[in-house]
Amino acid sequence: MKKSNKKIIYDDPRKVVASALVEAGEADPDIVFISCDSSLGASGDPFRQKFPARHFEFGIAEAGAMGQAAGLSISGKKPFITAYMPFITYRCFEQIRDDVAKTNLNVNIMGNNCGLSVGTLGPTHVVLEDVAVMRAIPNMTIFSPADGPQYNAAILKAAQIDGPVFLRVHRQKTPRIYKEGCKVEPGKADVLKEGSDVTLISTSSLVSNTLEAAEMLKGMGIDAEVINAYSLKPIDKDTILGSASKTKKVITIEEHTIMGGLGGITAELLAKECTATLDMIGIEDQFAVVGDYGDLLDYYGLTAEKLADRVKKLTEK
Amino acid sequence: MPALSKQEIKDLIERSYKARANVLEMMKKGEGHIGGAFSALDIITVLYNKILRHDPKRPKWEDRDRFILSAGHKVMGLYATLADQGYFEEEILWTYNTLNTRVPMHPDEKVLPGIEFPTGSLGHGLAVANGMALSARLDNKDFRVFVILGDGECAEGSVWEAAMSAGHHGVDNLTAIVDRNGFQVNGATTDIMDTSPFEDKFAAFGWEVTTIDGHDMGQIYDVLSKVPLKKGKPSAVIADTTKCKGLTFGEDKFEFHHWHCPADEIDDAIDIINEQKEAEHEKVK
Repeated sequence: MKKSNKKIIYDDPRKVVASALVEAGEADPDIVFISCDSSLGASGDPFRQKFPARHFEFGIAEAGAMGQAAGLSISGKKPFITAYMPFITYRCFEQIRDDVAKTNLNVNIMGNNCGLSVGTLGPTHVVLEDVAVMRAIPNMTIFSPADGPQYNAAILKAAQIDGPVFLRVHRQKTPRIYKEGCKVEPGKADVLKEGSDVTLISTSSLVSNTLEAAEMLKGMGIDAEVINAYSLKPIDKDTILGSASKTKKVITIEEHTIMGGLGGITAELLAKECTATLDMIGIEDQFAVVGDYGDLLDYYGLTAEKLADRVKKLTEK
Repeated sequence: MPALSKQEIKDLIERSYKARANVLEMMKKGEGHIGGAFSALDIITVLYNKILRHDPKRPKWEDRDRFILSAGHKVMGLYATLADQGYFEEEILWTYNTLNTRVPMHPDEKVLPGIEFPTGSLGHGLAVANGMALSARLDNKDFRVFVILGDGECAEGSVWEAAMSAGHHGVDNLTAIVDRNGFQVNGATTDIMDTSPFEDKFAAFGWEVTTIDGHDMGQIYDVLSKVPLKKGKPSAVIADTTKCKGLTFGEDKFEFHHWHCPADEIDDAIDIINEQKEAEHEKVK
């Protein structure tokens, strides 16, 4: 159902988010959009033009902006607030924790340019720890969509969730995996390809590379199951553990530190509940080197070809 | 608004000093941030008795004015005031510092009616208040938002991010009151981090500013009943106060920011409060 057999369509996540915000805003007059000098480059411009009174520009001042988002939300609004990943998470972390999460307010935090997507900007802008940090906060839902239709669904869903949502938005265009109009649910993951030898779990833009790698692995005699963990919190324990029980071999694949990200999440599940082995493919405990996205995927061994090769070696060991 | 009558002022003094005595009663269960609670108490008393549009029986009434105690550690005085107003039974005050109390050392809106927002980490309240005020504007509602900030708290950069935004957006249904008692946990604000001059700083951020004696009920009322001080601008009221006001041996001493009173000395402290209450009544005559 999810896999499209047609010509590959690529979506720009920012454009999808932009149109989804307008769609959500049309359906619900309480939705407001908050930018921190980030409305143009980060998906908010169509909303700003369509609903100027419902757009709040709070400038390069994310701590203040997050507090104001909380104030708007506790008064009945449903803010979507956006900026580059480091600024909308770390700069205002305590406001997220105390003002948004402890209060369990419907504030939707869009962290732009997740993973390695803006690698030439260097490690101040390339954040590889956001999932580890944000998921430690109680009440937080984390969506990490894999493609355009999932971004659209995640925005629409976030508006309805009675509590804070952290939405990771990648910068790179992503090949379409799902059909338009698909739905997302907190706590759900999708098995995109069934297999019996190894379970590959990925998230965000690397899901498409993982699917591609699985196709290559087929030619190498390895039947990989591929799971898209688009909801990183809550995590779909049943789907992951069910697959792990079947294949007895799990490999997580992420553009994120393996400490506390998808790898860490999966390790926590398996440690308690299952005897499958686990390997984690991602970024080791380090700041990212500088490079464009393609070069960085290659450098970190995250291209489809390199993933297939790494999975093969890990499966054979 | 006409000025307060002498009887009204005496009534406010009565309530404010009753709240101080109740705060000391609470401290029979241990330590508390008494210094800031007492410096802000006269302002809180005027707000809840004379300024805020509120209804203790409908704490979530949509059109109520909002009050946020940004310096959340001063909350003991607010608890005593909310109990006096009828938001909850006075008995709840006596659970202070006990397991799962509804009156913790920093306020929690989930467990106690009358608390608008959980504070305690300094520097958060003004931004939240600004968001509330902007929401009122968006909905064409006429409720107002009042915030009390500590002068030490104003060293936090996030206070000034919020102040800049309120000035930029011309949020005139927002009033910030700075409880300028001059002391913070480790000493005088002028020694730790000099946050003055508040008047010039808020004015530079686009606020209309005035200065009052934060223990003069008449002055507090006169100013707060006239906000916004200027249409189209947020209002800043810089209130000169005395740390630990009313407990004479603790006044203007940073050591009383946070104090653990020996339980057997509390009743003597309450006697001092009652003496000071009479002294305040005398001034009104």
